This record gives sequence, structure tokens and C-alpha cells, in this order.
Amino acid sequence: MSEKRIGIVEKSNNKRQRVTQDRPEFSINDHHDVLLEILRRLDGPSLCSAACVCRLWSAVARNDSIWEELCFQQVSPRPSLSLRSVVSALGGYRCLYFLCIRPVLARLPKLLWTRDQLQLSLSLYCVHYYERLYVGAWIGDAPPSSLMFLRKPVNVV
Amino acid sequence: MKRSHQETYLEQQEAPSVAEYGKKLEGSSVGGGDDNIDELLAALGYKVRSSDMADVANKLEQLEMVLSNDVVGSSNSFLNDTVHYNPSDLSGWAQTMLSGLSYYPDLDPTRVCDLRPITNDDESCCSSNSSNKRIRLGPWCDSVSSESTRSVVLIEETGIRLVQALVACAEAVQQENLSLADALVKRVGSLAASQAGAMGKVATYFAEALARRIYRIHPSSAAVDPSFEELLQMNFYDSSPYLKFAHFTANQAILEAVTMARGVHVIDLGLNQGMQWPALMQALALRPGGPPSFRLTGVGAPSNREGIQELGWKLAQLAQAVGVEFEFNALTTERLPDLEPDMFETRPESETLVVNSVFELHPVLAQPGSIEKLLATVKAVKPSIVTVVEQEANHNGVVFLDRFNEALHYYSSLFDSLEDSVVIPGQDRVMSEVYLGRQILNVVAAEGIDRVERHETLDQWRRRMGTAGFDPVNLGYDAFKQASLLLALFGGGDGYRVEENDGSLMLAWQTKPLVAASAWKLAAELRR
Repeated sequence: MSEKRIGIVEKSNNKRQRVTQDRPEFSINDHHDVLLEILRRLDGPSLCSAACVCRLWSAVARNDSIWEELCFQQVSPRPSLSLRSVVSALGGYRCLYFLCIRPVLARLPKLLWTRDQLQLSLSLYCVHYYERLYVGAWIGDAPPSSLMFLRKPVNVV
Repeated sequence: MKRSHQETYLEQQEAPSVAEYGKKLEGSSVGGGDDNIDELLAALGYKVRSSDMADVANKLEQLEMVLSNDVVGSSNSFLNDTVHYNPSDLSGWAQTMLSGLSYYPDLDPTRVCDLRPITNDDESCCSSNSSNKRIRLGPWCDSVSSESTRSVVLIEETGIRLVQALVACAEAVQQENLSLADALVKRVGSLAASQAGAMGKVATYFAEALARRIYRIHPSSAAVDPSFEELLQMNFYDSSPYLKFAHFTANQAILEAVTMARGVHVIDLGLNQGMQWPALMQALALRPGGPPSFRLTGVGAPSNREGIQELGWKLAQLAQAVGVEFEFNALTTERLPDLEPDMFETRPESETLVVNSVFELHPVLAQPGSIEKLLATVKAVKPSIVTVVEQEANHNGVVFLDRFNEALHYYSSLFDSLEDSVVIPGQDRVMSEVYLGRQILNVVAAEGIDRVERHETLDQWRRRMGTAGFDPVNLGYDAFKQASLLLALFGGGDGYRVEENDGSLMLAWQTKPLVAASAWKLAAELRR
């Protein structure tokens, strides 16, 4: 689909004239797969910003494969397929990133992100999933959370 | 110039006064040139610069501490045979003495004694520097546990009176002088109420425990509401690293032992809320080569049978989610030694057996002979690995006063660690303190069968396991790495440390080990 655009063209007698031009318009919003590929290559903060642009982008950003890519950016070799099924069962990569990986990286910014850190984050994520399962309808306002220690900032004295 | 006996005497006399003088000098804002040799000491023949006073006082204090604690034989020969040059250089002399006696002071400025003048001002005690609020226990505790505190610490003056009153009260109880103990415990209560920070809270719990002991109100463990107990334990799991460390380290040992197994059967001697097993199942699910089948036998109290069944169902849901074949058995028993090997229905031809005990062995010590029976039962089922996590403390001594001192030291460190990590919101910290407070009550006030918090040190457990026919298994570097990473996440200003101790791992707060994790296998001649 092309749109009519008003363009400025310089004519030979040095006068500028407005003309209507036919230009094929490429809107990224029409091509979700391309948008996905672009978002997949972003880093954490940029991706979070991108997810706030508009409803469409937010919906595209919910695609778990983007977050999977983000979680494994620095880890090699790439983990196996079984990991994907485990993580999706536990709530998906997006939640893993927000609940575990991002706080861990924030807490230890100089950390080299390797398989060990990933494994630990996964374990904590699993415990969190189980706790929500176990606690269910807990009496009281705030249900206990095993990831509480990751949430609040630490006052380093 | 050889060091004479007279000089020794003079030095020992000098040390406290130099330290005090140094403090006075620090406190007063007298200018004086920094290069000035101190006149008063010069009159005695010692050349010390005014600017070096604090340092010299520090060294002399450490030296006094070391000399009073050191083993007699080795140091005596050193003292008598060494030649010292220029002893009027007090600073250099003290330094050579310290290094000669193989004493490596931990000169971290936040831990070594802070030579500010000790005044009665509340503001100096509650200053914004939170390291001041840290509980420091002085020389009185070194005689009890000399290896655990290598750094020299000073007691803040308001804390001194509190600790002295607590110890005096415990001594009175030990000597059965109950009227004196009663008076002292009231004093402790009022002092504790005015003491800010972790020290005050610990002292309050210990005072209550002493009061219960004096008036013979023994808290029996059966009187506690199990759902409240569960709430406290869950909260303690969430807000501090001790239980997480225990679970993760034990899981790592189990994983390393079952790498080739097609079926894994874990017997958990204390299921509680089953928080240990999700992480293990997830790690098994991601094992290269596919997950083994996982069978869990959880042991719990008979009053909680429905709770355990429900827990098993929830674990099954998780297992299904991560794709691990799962089977759950619940075993209820009032006391662990009542378990018999055939209750576990082991399938040795298809399963690798693991026995796991996290803080479950020490209550068994309350009845003589029980621990041997339990360990014999464990041996009879022929596990491939036994993981044991226990508190690293000796709260099972025969003499009450020793137990009291040990417990005071131990729980002060624990409360201190909760205080320092600002991660925990206040309400959760209170719940963790209540959880620990109940342990304190049991250690101090209960006796006989009721006293179930009979913690023993790793060395003591090693002896027991060795006698029972188990060999130690090294926990390995992966476990150490994982534990270090976990503790780094907890913040607390690097107060938490993992220490390796002959193949076992210990979680320490400010160099005081608090929890010890170890793994065991059947001794060589008993394995098939």
C-alpha cells in the first residue's frame, strides 16, 4: 500500500515546487515478524523501553522468544530445547528475566554471566513457582516470596 | 638487650594504661605537633609519637590478648630466647612480638577495635555508622571459643553491662542461687529494653529464657501451633540465606552423586514445606541425557498427615510441569529413631538412594541411644549419599553455663546478620527473630527430653558419623561457587562468607561459622 506524500522538488530554474509523489511506504507496524527480529536483538533496558512504545509493540514484546534471546545473550553454548520447555512451564522467560535475572544483574553488576549464574537463577525461579503453588491462598495481605531478597535495593553502608 | 622479667611485668602494666591514654588522646582535641614524641612515655624511656599512639595502643592490646590466650609451651620459649633491639621503639617492638607469635591480626579497620573514647553518650553509640551497632563480644567469650574470633573487638560500654548481667545471671542459675538470679534477670530485662539494635533483642530473648528457667516454666515443643510454626519457617526461608544455603548445597551434593542414575529415591528426614525439592527436580529435568525418575519419601509428624499429602500433590504438579517422572510417599512418625529400614520400601536394583537431613539430626540427641539407632537405620537402607546440614555450635554441653555462653555468642551473630541486611522489611525480620527466639528458649530454659535444640559442631558430627560407619564426601568446587554466588546476592555488606572445612562447607557471618553442610557415604567395607 502506498501513500501520497507531499515532497519538495528542486526544479532546474532554482525554484522549489511542491509535488505529490508516490512512494511505497514501509511501516514496521505492518510487519510484525520483522519487528520481532529487531526486538530480539535489543538489550534489556532498550527492550523494556520498546515494550512501552504502544500497544502493538507491547503485544509483540510479549513473545517469549525475545526474552529467551535476552537471557542467553552472553551464555554459550546455547542451552538445549528441554530448557525451553522447563522455563515455559515455570512461567516463561519474560517472568524469569524480570523476577530473577534482572535483579541478579542489578545486584552484582560486575558479574560475568555464565551458566552457573543462569542455573542459580533458574533454581530460584523454580522455588518461586513452587512457593506460589504451595501457598495458594495465603492468609494475610502479602504472600511470602522467596525472591523477596532480590526485590529491594540493598543499603550498602 | 635481652628481655628481662622485669620488663615483661612493666609491659603488662603499661598496656592498659597506654591504651587508655591513647583513647584519651584521640578524644581530646589537643593539637600538639604530630612529630612530637609523647612526653609522659618519654619519661619512662619509650619513644612513641603522638600520632602513632592509637596504633601502638592497638598493637599492645592485641599482644595482651594473644599472650593471655596463647598456648603456654610455644610462646614461652619465644619470649625468653628472642633478642629485641631498641625496645624503646614501642611500636616496632610490639609489631615484632605479634608477628613472632604467629598472630595474624585482621587489620580490617571496620573490625579492629575502634579507639574512640567510650562515653556514656547515647549518640556515640547509636551513630549513623552501622558497624558500631554490630554486636562485639570481648575477651570473655574467647575462653569459650578461641578459634572462632580471630579479630580483636571491643565492647561498647552500654553493651558491656548488659552482657555482664546476662552472664552473671547465668552463673547464678548454674549455682542454683535463684534469688540472686531473679534479681539479675529483672536487671537484664531493663537494660535490654534500653539497648538499641540486635544486642537488645538477643538479650531480651535470653532474659526471658533465663526467667523461664528460674521459674521452671518449661516450654514444651508440642504446645506450638503447627501452622504458625510453618509460617515462621517459611518466613525464615525467605528472608535469610541459611535455609537456602542448606538446601542448595545439599542439592548440589545429591546431583553430583546421581549423575548416572536412572532412578533417584530421596528420603527427606524432615519434609516441612518441601522447599528443597523444586530446585532439585528442575536441575534433574535439565540433566544432559534426560531426567531420571524421581521418588521422594518425606518424613513428618503424624499430626500433619493431610498437610504432607497435599504437599506431595503440589510437588507432583511441579514435577509434571518440568517433565520429571515423580512418585511421592509420606511417612509419619512421632520420633525419627522409630523408623525401620523396611518402612522406606527401597528398590535397590533400580534406584539410587539418597538420605537428606537438614537440621533434623540434632533433636534426636535429646534421648540417649536414639542417634545411634537412627544412623544404624540409615546405614541399613544403603544410601549412596547422605547429606547432613546442622548448626555449627556446641549447645549440647553438660554444663549449663558453657551452653549459655556458646548460645549467647551464636545467636548474637545470627541476630546481627539479620540486622545488617537491610533487604528484609521490618515485619519479616521480627518473624525471623521470633523463629530464632524459640530456639533460644529451648536451649536455655528446657531440660531433658524437652530440650531438642541440641546443636553440635561439625567435628562432633564427624565423629558420630565416623563411628556409625560413614566416610566423608568432599562437597566440591561447584557447591562452593554456587553458595558464594547465592550469598553475594544477599548483600549484608559482604558479611556472609562460605568457608571450606575439610571438604565440608560452612556459612559464616563475620568469620563466625553458623551453619555447616556435609555429605557422607557408607564406609568402604560396607559398600556392595
